[in-house]
Amino acid sequence: MITVKNLYKEFDNRYVLEDISLTYNPGQCSLIIGASGSGKTVLLKSIVGLHTPEKGEIWYDDKLFTQMELKQKKELRKEIGMLFQGSALFDFATVEENVMFPMDFFTDWSKEQKLERANFCLKRVNLENANKKMPSELSGGMQKRVGIARAIALNPKYLFCDEPNSGLDPTTSILIDRLIQEITQEYKITTIINTHDMNSVMEIGDKIGFIYKGHKLWEGNNQEILHSDCKELNDFVFASKMAQQLKSYI
Amino acid sequence: MKQTLQLIGEYYILMTRVFQKPDKWRIFWKQYVNEAHKLIIDSIPIVSIISVFIGGVLVIQTANNMDNPFIPKMYIGYMTRECLALEFCSTMVALILAGKIGSNIASEIGSMRITEQIDAMEIMGVNSANYLILPKIVSSVTLSPFLMLLSFFLGLIGGGIIVYTTGLVLPSQYIEGLQFAFKVEYIYYSLTKMAVFGYIITSVSSFYGYYATGGSLGVGRSSTKAIVISSGLILVFNLALTQIML
Repeated sequence: MITVKNLYKEFDNRYVLEDISLTYNPGQCSLIIGASGSGKTVLLKSIVGLHTPEKGEIWYDDKLFTQMELKQKKELRKEIGMLFQGSALFDFATVEENVMFPMDFFTDWSKEQKLERANFCLKRVNLENANKKMPSELSGGMQKRVGIARAIALNPKYLFCDEPNSGLDPTTSILIDRLIQEITQEYKITTIINTHDMNSVMEIGDKIGFIYKGHKLWEGNNQEILHSDCKELNDFVFASKMAQQLKSYI
Repeated sequence: MKQTLQLIGEYYILMTRVFQKPDKWRIFWKQYVNEAHKLIIDSIPIVSIISVFIGGVLVIQTANNMDNPFIPKMYIGYMTRECLALEFCSTMVALILAGKIGSNIASEIGSMRITEQIDAMEIMGVNSANYLILPKIVSSVTLSPFLMLLSFFLGLIGGGIIVYTTGLVLPSQYIEGLQFAFKVEYIYYSLTKMAVFGYIITSVSSFYGYYATGGSLGVGRSSTKAIVISSGLILVFNLALTQIML
């Protein structure tokens, strides 16, 4: 479980996150949604430690992340997997080497064991026979799959996904969303996904937090989101004319 | 002034992260070999070509400026050797390397920064600065002095080719000049300079790449800064080391 309490983050004396409190449970896909520039990426990066918040607490189960020494954070990070918006695959390494990268650093497994695990992870994301390809030879969807395979290589307890379906077509987006959901439920991972894709919200949003101009304005799930009376949320969810027409039927 | 101090502070903080014990020595040595190939071995052709031509040019220029019949011709070889050993093979080669490998390092690390590959390493718990930068620095510091030696020998050969083909001076006089009053300390001085310059080029270029921001334009900017700053520092340290060591 991950708990965020009263989090504040500022850049150049301007707060981009103010008093954010959220709880994320294992086995659930928890979504952070909001318009571009609302602060959701800053929130995600603050939770994983890529940004240092000015105030507030971040708890990973019973461990207070914001008070940890660098060495303790390093230990905790072995339990974290992250899928980046642009996949962030290492372009100097093949698909197989990308998945084996965390194993090279944090396990004493033999090459055969690492290879076996990499093959298992790649099979789990339905990506076989691509082991020797370079990231530049893969499509966007395949790169995301490799990113997921690398993120789950060391059986993480926590999985973070930053815009997992940006740049993907709707069909591939849904496949990636379902894959993340399956993995989350199968391995009881605490998964936090940063998105502004309403398909994802409706498909896998077990828990949703809406961020607006650095504030958390609403919290609920994919059933409740359609019936919210939060104006800013409704403006975001029903932004298009088609969605507004659909709302009149709900 | 404040900006300069901030830069020095950021550089120092980065170097404290770079100079830590590698997570796994096996990975470090693998990276060391890769970097040695990329930074040093791949630089051999350009260094060789430039060294041969500069050696030849030095012979011609020295010969043209030594028309006094009282100065023995063998001094052409002597002057060529001294120029190569004292200045060209370390400082000039370092400036060439600053352009070649400095831009390579800054753009490589800068691209990794803007495509979030460095963030991905950090999230995994890997010390990205240590993994990416330390092998570059160590391979450059330990192996760039060999480039200096190679450049020195090829420069002398380049001079020799001109001597044989133009007849500006007798080959025996050229060789006598090369052997005249040879001080091995000059070679040590040049090797030391080259190792220091190797450190400057790799650490400064890595620093600018590591903190690159602003997309592909930012990577371009960081490459340019890396070359300009490391070239400037090479000149400053050249002066300082010369004052200290000679």
